[in-house]
Formats: sequence, structure tokens, C-alpha cells
Amino acid sequence: MSKCYQDEYEAGYTPRLVMEEASRCLLCLDAPCSSSCPAGTDPAKFIRSVRFKNFKGAAETVRINNVLGAICARVCPTERYCQQGCSRSGIDKPIDIGRIQRYITDFEEATKMDILEVEKPNGKKVAVIGSGPAGLTSAAYLAQKGYAVTIYEKDAKAGGYLRNGIPEYRLPNAVVDKEINRIVKLGVDINLNTRVGEDVKLADLKKENDAVIVAIGASKGKSFEMFEHNRKVKIAVDFLKQVKARKGNVKLPKNVLVIGGGDVAMDVVTTLKLLGVENVSDVVYEEFKEFRASKKELQSAQEQGVSIIDGYAPVSCRGGTVKFKHRVIPADLKIKADLIILAIGQVTDPAGIDLEFERGEVKSKSYRVGESNVFYAGDIAHGEKTVVYAVRTGKEAAISVDKYLGGK
Amino acid sequence: MVRKDLSITFMGVKFPNPFCLSSSPVGNCYDMCAKAYESGWGGVVFKTIGPKHYLIDEVSPRFDALTKEAEPFVGFKNMEQIAEHSLEENLADLRRLKKNYPSQVLIASIMGSNEEDWEVLAKLVTEAGADMIELNFSCPQMTSHAMGSDVGSNPELCRKYCAAVRRSTKLPFMAKMTPNITDMCDPAIASLEGGADGISAINTIKSIINVDLDKKVGLPIIDGKSAISGYSGKAVKPVALRFIQQMRNHPKLKDAEISGIGGIETWEDAAEFILLGCKNLQVTTGIMQYGYRIVEDMKRGLEHYMDEQGVDCLEDLVGLANKNLIPAEELNRDYIVYPEIDTNKCIGCGRCVISCYDGAHQAMEWNKETRRPNCNHDKCVGCLLCGLVCPVGAIKPGERVLKANRKPRNLAKLVLQDSIEKL
Repeated sequence: MSKCYQDEYEAGYTPRLVMEEASRCLLCLDAPCSSSCPAGTDPAKFIRSVRFKNFKGAAETVRINNVLGAICARVCPTERYCQQGCSRSGIDKPIDIGRIQRYITDFEEATKMDILEVEKPNGKKVAVIGSGPAGLTSAAYLAQKGYAVTIYEKDAKAGGYLRNGIPEYRLPNAVVDKEINRIVKLGVDINLNTRVGEDVKLADLKKENDAVIVAIGASKGKSFEMFEHNRKVKIAVDFLKQVKARKGNVKLPKNVLVIGGGDVAMDVVTTLKLLGVENVSDVVYEEFKEFRASKKELQSAQEQGVSIIDGYAPVSCRGGTVKFKHRVIPADLKIKADLIILAIGQVTDPAGIDLEFERGEVKSKSYRVGESNVFYAGDIAHGEKTVVYAVRTGKEAAISVDKYLGGK
Repeated sequence: MVRKDLSITFMGVKFPNPFCLSSSPVGNCYDMCAKAYESGWGGVVFKTIGPKHYLIDEVSPRFDALTKEAEPFVGFKNMEQIAEHSLEENLADLRRLKKNYPSQVLIASIMGSNEEDWEVLAKLVTEAGADMIELNFSCPQMTSHAMGSDVGSNPELCRKYCAAVRRSTKLPFMAKMTPNITDMCDPAIASLEGGADGISAINTIKSIINVDLDKKVGLPIIDGKSAISGYSGKAVKPVALRFIQQMRNHPKLKDAEISGIGGIETWEDAAEFILLGCKNLQVTTGIMQYGYRIVEDMKRGLEHYMDEQGVDCLEDLVGLANKNLIPAEELNRDYIVYPEIDTNKCIGCGRCVISCYDGAHQAMEWNKETRRPNCNHDKCVGCLLCGLVCPVGAIKPGERVLKANRKPRNLAKLVLQDSIEKL
């Protein structure tokens, strides 16, 4: 069946299928899935609830533990986290936890459940900079605790990389909108088109609020010098943002070369294929055995017929022609393309935010910057750069803020 | 977030929720019952305590499971008898449980072999602090015919032993019925007449669930032999519900307080027992397979069900389904419901055609080209077997048509069964 960019790549479960999958779960004693979810979503508990027909209870477990449950269900590289230690692997293969979670959150949405509750206002104010997964999570957590939370977002719409970076076929913007609506319903204010450093000053936010959480992410794509000032070169994150904003209505050439082998690269190559680009070549620095992309994303790229060439590093670029050398064996590669897309990583763009960074992460051991009332979360915090990790650091930073402000 | 109070009063005792361990291996000692309370069970029926002179000597192994296709535990066979700990140990456990868990309900299950036994045991467990008592008239695997299900199928013995217990305790008590009988109403009525405050049903069903084909012995095999013993689990739920309905339908039992037992695993099972008139619920097999933790989803699911039903008090749901179960001869036989096939959902497996031909009325026709079924109304009797076998839920009750020469009643008011829409 041919797939298209605007439709979810993977179909959701029917009630019968979710029950079949939940019945595969061994309901094992120590539930490695629950102990390895960075966000603490507790799959063992929600799968058991599905197994025992308590769908609403399952939705409560997901939502209370993970305010971005519907998003994580779709984008989480579960094979690296909850599914990695699954006891069922001793028989055949792990439980498809992400898909069960998706069923549950779809059920929650379809039955209009209203799960999260807000404690009475405690009179304290917190500003959150950035509305990506970390910012949204910390805002939601603090709003539930009774804080008056305001998010400052530089873009015209909230969601950060969820909205701009993850392609529609993996994470529809409709889902992002619904998750954000739930958080807005908790009383969180979102100031759009507001860049901290230009439109408001961090120093003022620090003064006007009891605490500030910086969750600005790593939204700027990296480049190499050989690709600078080349009109045929595009940066992956900019490309993905444009495609998603235009709902896939972009004009693309016949031959596209992508450089990079992470999840962003996989998103780019699959997007290109789903938009009808005939030849998509992906050259990757890592060899297959050290691939960073999640299996699911690699699999969809391969299903779509992307040529993936591993182990080559770019050495020069002239116009649309890029030369590569293999990292180990003596081998050269030359590819000529109409468009070159670089998916070689992202960095933080801390313009206007006066924090000390080291390799993209804030130089600090806790979630608090020194003795100030500034905290941070997400990609600029220590740890993995995934959505589920952003949920984790968002939650933990919020807990730190709550403790700092005298919460119980 | 939805929150509902699951507390309910049964035989004059308020339970924090209706879910209890039933008298069985799952409530065999202090630690087990304590863990069950900690897991959120509203009450515990401590494993049946017998008279001092009756010594328990168990077989090994003692369980077996009935499977079906990939389902590992359709039904369960149990050969274990009553508590094997000494009377003193059991009474000490009861005392400790009541002391440490005063707000949860402690039910002592007892079983004697004569009136004196029953009197003594009732007195002892009353002194030990039990909130109520259950008389086990129904264990089908006792090695004594003076005890167990042979008693429960004899109304006069039930009456006599209930009277004996009534003489020696003021606590409320219920009589646990055996399903190994044609009519449960007789022993139930006799028990109430003897002084019981309520009925619990059902105990396990006498069974042989598997036979080893090479060794030619039933399972489990004990030194080359096996024996008939109690069957439980999901498979017995329909039998339990039937007995409970029959009791609730009997003029002398219609207001009886009933504790429902038999295959309860989910909140849906629990709700069914409540709708058929139970104020209390007991579980064993589900726990043996999955652990005490299953109570979490039963409780939460039941709260959501109460919310959906718009009730704040669990008691308001008790017995709501009794009136909708009527004698077969009183059912409306005037109309046919034809199946409606959702061709978008149909995947063309043809299972409905097979079942209709071989098990019904050869009405489901098959288009070989399109690989899709079509119902011929001239032959269809509206049994809806097709809907039950459809793997994707594509067949639902559709058009309702009066049979020839029947007077139209108000068809719009007819309520259709929707069990086939469940999954």
C-alpha cells in the first residue's frame, strides 16, 4: 500500500489488536519496561490495565505520568528504552509498547477524558522559555502544582521540534495541538512570537518570576565549512520544518543526497520518498553496526527504497557534487545531486540567553544554574537527546523548581 | 479525574470495596492476607479452618489448567482442601490481621463434620476477631464425606449446621453453596432458615479437565492416578451467574444478600455479578494466575463504570439486571434481526459463511470473485452466529423484521443484545 506524507505511517490498533498485543505481555514480576522508561510512564501498569479491560485506568496512568503521552507513543525509540529488557523477548519479540500507548491515548481523546487536575493557585510565578517537549512538560507539571506558568515561544506556534521537526507521518500536528491544548487547559499561558533576548530580557523574567526554566532545545542545524554558501545545500531541520508547515506541498528535484545517519536523517530521507522524490541517497559516517537511528525509522527509510551507504565521510563539495572517502577501507565515492540535505546534528542557539554551555549542555550539575532562580531542561540538560528524555528532564527540572520554591 | 466511593454494606458490615479473596490457597496465612489488604482488597475470606481432629494431608502436584488455542488458563482445577495450618496458627493469624488491618473486613471460613465442630469453630473465630463468617458447605475435594460439597447438596444438613453456628455466634454469616447440584435454591433457603444472613456462590465445579493420552490418567497425575476435583476460573463464570440469577428470582431468596464467586478477573466480570444481585465479590483463580494486583484495575474500572452509569453509590447497581432475565417462554419471538455486514471492515475470510452453512441456516452466500459474503434473507433466521465468529466485528445486528402474521408491537422500543459488539 502506498504511503503518503500527511498520513500516519503506522496504523493504530483496533480494540481486538490492542488486546492481542496486551495479552502477549507476560505481566512479569519486575517489569523492566517500567524501570527503563526515562519519563516514568509505567508501561507495565498501563498494559496490565488494558489486559484487564480498564482502558480508562490505562489512560490515567499514561497521562498522569507523561503529559506528552500521545506524542511519546508515536515518536519514542522504544527499542532503546522500555522494550529493550522486555521479558517477552525470551519467547519471541518485545511487546509493541508504543503502539499500545498510542491506542490508549487515542482512546482517551476519543472518549474526551479529562484526567489532569490543578491544585489551587499558590501565588507563585514561573516563566518557561521554549515550548518544546521539555518546556511543555515542566509547564504542565508546575501548573498542576498551582503555579502561574507562562511559556515564551519564539515561533508563531507552540511545540518546538515536535511541531517543526518530526514529520507529519510520524507525528501529526493535530496530535501536537491536542497535547498542547491539554496543557493550556491547566492554565498555562503561551506567549508566541516572543524571543527571549530580543522581545523580553532574561533578566526581567528572572525579576518578574519566582523562577525561570530555560528549555530552548537544540534547534539549529550543523554544517561543515565545505557546504557553506552553496545554494544546493539545505539543513535538515530547516527542510523538515518547511515541509511540515506546508503540509508536504513543496517542490523537490529528482535526485537528492542526504548526509547523516541519525533519526533526523531518517526523517528527511523518508519524507523525501513519501513526497515522491525518485532517487534518495543517504551517505552515513557511521557503519551500520554503529548506526544511531532507531530501528523503526531505519526500517521505514529502507521500506521506502532509500539507498543508504554507510561508513563514508564527506571530503569536498562543489555545486551539487560531493566526494566521500570511506573511513576504513580505501574507497572513494562521488555523488551528484540536485539537492543536498545535511542531517549531521543540531546545536543550541543561545542568543540572548546568558548561560555557560559546554558541548551544548549547560555547565551545572543540577537543574539549577548556580544559586540563581534559573533552571533548565531538555536538550541543553545532561542526557540523551530524545523526546522522552526531554519529558524526563522537564519533569525533573520542574520538581527542582517546586522544591526550590518550597513545594512539598 | 473521576473518583467514586466503592464502599458497600454486605450483611450489615461495611466493606471499603466489594472485592475479597475467597477462601482458598490465596488466603492461606497472615502474610498473604496482609499483602492482599495492602494491595487494596476490601476484605479477605481466610482459608477455611477445619476442626482440630481433621488432619489435612495434601497431594502433589494439585492443580491443572484447561487451555484453548493460545489462551493458557481458560479454567483451573484445584485439588487443595482446607487450611493445612494448625487451628492455633490460623486463629493467631486472624487475630493479627484484625489488629493490623482494622478497617478492612476479615471473614473467617469454617468447616465442621458435625454440629459440635461448627459450634466450636464459630465460637473460636468470633473470639479471634473475625467480622463475619462463611460456612464452607461446598468444597468438592474433601477426603471426608461428612464435609464439603456433600453437605452443601443436602438442605437439611445446611439448615442444621447453620442453626448450630447461629447458636454460638452473633456475627453475621453466609453459607457457601456448591454448584454440584440441580437447584441451589433449596440449600440456600434451608441455610437462611437455619439462621444464615447471606449466601455465597459458587464454590468450584466437580471436574476432570484433561487426560494424559499416553498414561491414560486425568491431570494432575498423583502416583499414576488422579481424582475428580473443583473447576474454577473464567470458564465457570456463566454457571455462577446462572445460579445467582435463579436464587434472586426465587420468592424466598429475592432479597438475599449474596457474595458472588466464579471467574471474576476484570471489573466487567465484577459488574456482571453486581448487576445480578451481588453486594460482595470473591476471587481466587484470577489471583492465582496474576496476583493480588488485579484488584487495582477491577476497582478503578468499576469506578469508571459507576461514573458512566451516573451512580454515586455502588448499591444502586445491585440487581439491576435480574428483572431482564425472564423465562425463555416469555421472550418476544415475533421478529428476526438480520445481520448487517460492514463491507469496509470485512476482510473476506469467509468464516461467517462456513459457520452459517455448517452451524446455522445456509443463508450467508459467498461471492468468489469479490471474496465477500452476502446474507440471503430468504434463508436467514437471524441467529447472528455470523456476527459472533467475525474476527473484525464487521457483522452487527441490522434490520429488524416482523415474522409473518405477527402483530406489530412497538419495534422501536425493542432492545438488541449487543454482546457481539464487545470486541
